[in-house]
Amino acid sequence: MLCNKNKVALVDCNSFYVSCERLFNPSIAIKPVIVLSSNDGCVISRSTEAKALGIKMGEPYFKVKKIVKEHDVKTFSTNFALYGDISRRVMKTLKQFSPQMEIYSIDEAFLDLSSIKNENLLEHGCKIRKTILQWTGIPTSIGIATTKTLSKAANFIAKKEKSGVIDLVNSKKTDELLSKIKVNDVWGVGRQLTKFYIKNGINTAYDLKNMHNGWIKKNTNVFGSRTAMELKGIPCISFNPYPETRKSCCVSRSFGKKVMKLEDLSEAIATHCLNAAEKIRLDKQTVRKITVFIRTSPFQINNNYYANSKSLELPIRTNDSIVLIKNALTILENIYKKGYRYQKTGIIFSDLKDVNIYNKNLFSDINNEEKRIKLMKAIDCTNIKYGRHALSIAQAGFNKKWNSKKQHSSKIDTACFNFLPVVRAF
Amino acid sequence: MKVLLPFHLNKVGAGFPSPATDYVEDDIDLNVHLIKNIPSTFLIRVQGKSMNSVGINDSDLLVVDKSLNPKKFSTVIVNINEELVVKTFIKENGQSFLTSGSKEIKDKINLTENPEILIWGVVTYVIHAL
Repeated sequence: MLCNKNKVALVDCNSFYVSCERLFNPSIAIKPVIVLSSNDGCVISRSTEAKALGIKMGEPYFKVKKIVKEHDVKTFSTNFALYGDISRRVMKTLKQFSPQMEIYSIDEAFLDLSSIKNENLLEHGCKIRKTILQWTGIPTSIGIATTKTLSKAANFIAKKEKSGVIDLVNSKKTDELLSKIKVNDVWGVGRQLTKFYIKNGINTAYDLKNMHNGWIKKNTNVFGSRTAMELKGIPCISFNPYPETRKSCCVSRSFGKKVMKLEDLSEAIATHCLNAAEKIRLDKQTVRKITVFIRTSPFQINNNYYANSKSLELPIRTNDSIVLIKNALTILENIYKKGYRYQKTGIIFSDLKDVNIYNKNLFSDINNEEKRIKLMKAIDCTNIKYGRHALSIAQAGFNKKWNSKKQHSSKIDTACFNFLPVVRAF
Repeated sequence: MKVLLPFHLNKVGAGFPSPATDYVEDDIDLNVHLIKNIPSTFLIRVQGKSMNSVGINDSDLLVVDKSLNPKKFSTVIVNINEELVVKTFIKENGQSFLTSGSKEIKDKINLTENPEILIWGVVTYVIHAL
């Protein structure tokens, strides 16, 4: 049977953002380290040492500041330029180990290991781990199993093992290991489903695996039964080597300090539009619907809370930055109210479609459109060659006073000539 | 309606066609020649003068390949005292040492006796601005 041949590895980078920060900074190698989300808001990556101090994932920075001070926890703002480049290196290295690979997130990938003999799986996993560590400096954990869901479970266990690699294909202890995994830690089991399962006495991955198919089918949806089948070792989730095309694109940021003026909000909206438009042009897509939203801080006591959003449908699909900015700013003017201290704003481009989908109407200005396409191409090429924002649009502003706080950034970028890492010769 | 015509680099002139067209290659791409293993190669800037004698000067760029293991007299990036530094790797009588470019014994660091010192990567090229 086909399912017996199926072998999948999930490779997951350990505390990925922290590991990236450690790459060129050995002084924090064994210290507690955390990375904060944009605007230094919440903890989004923790080293093992930081986890041991009780710092939780997603916790607001102000809540852990005391622990940070007491234990000298090294704190970093996000440096996505660096993380993005290191992620690309990890994925490129991984690719040589399997003809089929699915990049699942910035720090995780599924590998098809069906061509590897069963008895060599563990050794192969160790080799992958060793190579990634030597080539990129990033430690990983690897779970190998017969289905994706089981490989996720194996990875969960591997994270706690010194070797960092768990092979469930040859393991006789699969059930024992699954009984150590809480049902909410099973891949694909969300908050609602967890509540439901626990109410019905299903507490671990092992419990879920042993539920009767009929019961699962009757009580959950197709995704629920897929997860249960996969825990039983029957592959239901296939490989998806090509990431699906985006259906919408959202860019939003919290401000470094509260913003009151319409001009500053306009600059932020224009900048977000530029970023999003660049992304969708890269994916060869066009936009139909634009949404703009603004809000004040929900935590502020003395000020009134105000939040609003509005959408607009374009008469003709486009990915032209100038048109998109113009429309987004019209929406902003519509929802902006004077006298509030705004904390966050963003835009959403939705109803995205491939550029080739027919898009002209009676009012299309074909001549101008062609010129604009060429202009956008020129802007994108220039920015690829000379760095992001080398060419921008004046509405996006120059000072960007509203820009987010990044007080603790390492400012290293392995893919940018001006921010390369430094070594000493002494 | 507009018709786009292809643009030819070599004009079909009235004279003798260039005999070199069959031999034309793309512009030289230094990446291809200086970087053998893309995912494991990093560009790193040097700060300091201790390696002048081997041709590495302050603010030079190093091409560093993490996938390589050091050979005798390799220039390496190492992690010493919580800092990344450039050193020369040498082997003598079955033991490994690090020096700062000079061949003198006195500033040698014995790697066999200091297993906590880790090799980070091997320098493959130096780029020096004149």
